[in-house]
Amino acid sequence: MNQGPDKTNPADEPRLHALLLELDSPGALLTAAERVRDAGFTRWDTHTPYPVHGIDNAMGTRRTRLPWIVFVFGLVGCIGGLLLQWWTNATSGAAFAFVPTFGQGYNYLVSGKPEFSLPANIPIIFETTVLLAALAAVFGMLALNNLPRHHHPLFNAPRFRRVTADRFFIAIDAADPRFDADRARALLDSLGGLEVEEVYDAPGSARLPQWLVITIMIVVSLALLPPLLAAKARLSKSDRPRIHLIHDMDNQERFKAQQAHPLFADGRAMRPTIPNTIARDDTLPDPHLDAGRGEDGWATAYPPRLDITVDFVRHGQAQFNIFCASCHGIGGAGDGIIHQRALRLDEPGWIAPTVLVSDLVRERELGHIFNTIAAGIRSMPPHGDQIPPADRWAIVAYMRALELSQHAAREDVPPEKRTELQP
Amino acid sequence: MTTSADITSESRRLTSTGPLGPAAAIAGVAGLAVGVLFGLRDGWDVFFRSYLLNYTFVLSLALGALFFVLLQHITKAGWSVALRRLAELIAATLPLLAVLFLPLLIPVVRGMAGVYEWADPHAAGHDTTGLLAHKQPYLNVPFFIARCVIYFLVWVLLARHFLRQSVAQDATGDPRHTLAMQWWSAPGLLLYGLTVTFFAIDALMSLNPHWFSTIWGVYFFSGCLVGFFAFLALVVCGVQRSGRLARSITVEHYHDLGKLAFAFVVFWAYIAFSQYMLIWYANIPEETVWYRPRQGDGWWVGVSLLLLAGHFVAPFLALLSRWPKRRKGTLAVAGVWLLAMHWLDLYYIVIPRPAGHDHAAAPLHVSDVALFVGLGGLFLAALLRLLTRYPLIPERDPRLADSLAFENI
Repeated sequence: MNQGPDKTNPADEPRLHALLLELDSPGALLTAAERVRDAGFTRWDTHTPYPVHGIDNAMGTRRTRLPWIVFVFGLVGCIGGLLLQWWTNATSGAAFAFVPTFGQGYNYLVSGKPEFSLPANIPIIFETTVLLAALAAVFGMLALNNLPRHHHPLFNAPRFRRVTADRFFIAIDAADPRFDADRARALLDSLGGLEVEEVYDAPGSARLPQWLVITIMIVVSLALLPPLLAAKARLSKSDRPRIHLIHDMDNQERFKAQQAHPLFADGRAMRPTIPNTIARDDTLPDPHLDAGRGEDGWATAYPPRLDITVDFVRHGQAQFNIFCASCHGIGGAGDGIIHQRALRLDEPGWIAPTVLVSDLVRERELGHIFNTIAAGIRSMPPHGDQIPPADRWAIVAYMRALELSQHAAREDVPPEKRTELQP
Repeated sequence: MTTSADITSESRRLTSTGPLGPAAAIAGVAGLAVGVLFGLRDGWDVFFRSYLLNYTFVLSLALGALFFVLLQHITKAGWSVALRRLAELIAATLPLLAVLFLPLLIPVVRGMAGVYEWADPHAAGHDTTGLLAHKQPYLNVPFFIARCVIYFLVWVLLARHFLRQSVAQDATGDPRHTLAMQWWSAPGLLLYGLTVTFFAIDALMSLNPHWFSTIWGVYFFSGCLVGFFAFLALVVCGVQRSGRLARSITVEHYHDLGKLAFAFVVFWAYIAFSQYMLIWYANIPEETVWYRPRQGDGWWVGVSLLLLAGHFVAPFLALLSRWPKRRKGTLAVAGVWLLAMHWLDLYYIVIPRPAGHDHAAAPLHVSDVALFVGLGGLFLAALLRLLTRYPLIPERDPRLADSLAFENI
């Protein structure tokens, strides 16, 4: 429905808004609507309790422009989502120095992918496209229907209430350029409806009451306060602690390390370990197993607590390939991919990883190698926190197997397999 | 608006399909013969891979039809009743398709590593990863055959049940048939989802037994539905061209077929990309191994890009508007195009050999086309025969009036 410009009538006489025709069946409505359409009216509408098939044709309404709005917004979301990701992740401040720092992109490397990488961008593009298209569909539909509006003059007609139950209506707007009250009434009378009624604009002003205007202004002013406070906080400095609105479990009543405590005789909150005990599930310290120490100097044998089996060595192989091979190479030749990359980049100060199958390492004591894994050496970082002691011993065992495999003589091959060897 | 009275005056039975039926059958037999000749010349690995490709193509159309029938009943759909019999008849080709599946058991039973590597009894021994041995409890010949028996049993029984109930209603008009079909549609869909998922895993994913993708079943299913809606649009066009169902199937039904085809085009792209993106992002060799041959050389890169452009971008833009879906001509063109793209999708799935295997000399072999004509011809001949045996519309379905009066708002 469309409404003419809202003028206050000086004579305070109700102004005619529309002529309303009441019908009792969808079939009658369709026939009547065709007649109104053919009479050339443009500002008129039908009102029904439920969607009536064929009403679009009967009214001669053109198809909605909403799909185009949705399409354009979807396209904007699509391109905007792509630009957003390009700007934030694939541009750097250097290239766009004229942009203030907070608006500059930040090259963030994710998963070793290129900074601008379509497969990673598509989910975001998809979401922004759907988001803008859906918002455009909802709000575009409301806008095209002249919604929201808080009142409509048709509600002034008492019989119009049955539009949500069992009656069908045609309303010709008085603002229609072809509208002439007598001729329009004659047309509606000839359509065979139940009743034709004149609907008047509500008496009185269409302006909002003054108290409502004041209330809205107060609410809006109050709503501006929080953003203003936030803006002030961002720009000013304070040495007071921040306002702690929700405490959750931030400040708990408990004793912290190094604090005094009245309960214990020594006055300390921290309790020392009780002499000659160990914690539950802990084991007694074993310098051989934990540190590779022997009677004097490095241990030369495996800790007796470990069973050196084929599975144990296989486990060592897996650990070796995870932790060691990237530098020392799968075969222990000191040619891992990190080393190769460092050579290719001509990295200054790069120390080549030790060749693990060299005589130098072969002659090292087991405990010494074990300790090197745990503590690191030169540019090799310590791995003690990453690899538990038993796994470190497994790596040592596998290294011994690796060394043996590359210094094996023909006699080390079982006799029945020797025939398979190439000469 | 069409009413029930109008369609009594129109022809809704196809008494004969003219020379089309025998022609399809002859083309089918000839295509198979040409395929076998090339199999004798170039080896059976090539033959069976082509056979699998074209077999899954025709099977996917029938599976899509079965899903459509089940879906209409579980949603108590009114609009689709005028189209439902055609879908029921497409699904009724499943008994024939069950027979045509039997040749695919030959490479499994004979352990032809060129088709199903896992079926080769020596494969697990050569496999250094140990994965084939690990998957042996599932991927072994007797269990594979047992599963296939279950799949086809479920599909054939479902297709027959729904066609029989629907045809029985033509005679009696008893609404209890509708209720019976509705009752069976829920367990039917459950069985359908499980069987189609596992069939896709067994027949297609196991071509590379080292690889796995948890979305695979949905991927195959989404392709089935794209192919089916394209095919149904063409069948409806064909039936109307022969002068049947001229009034009962309206532009509104075409519009909805177009909408569903569009929806499943998007769904396919969504699923295909979901599979691709996770594998691309994680970049783990166990998973990327499937894409490696498909992005490794120029031909397959071309096929991948053609799928992206032709299976998603082009139909997405072409079917986005309202008018292409409401015109028979544009919808038929889209149908042919989508069927071609659906075939290409299966070609992309079936033909590339797993990484590390020898590639066939030519990526597109004569038998790929010959067996398309062969299996497509037999499928079409069976469908044409079914079309002449039953009314083309569920004549006394209680919701038929809804369907005839249906309008898109």
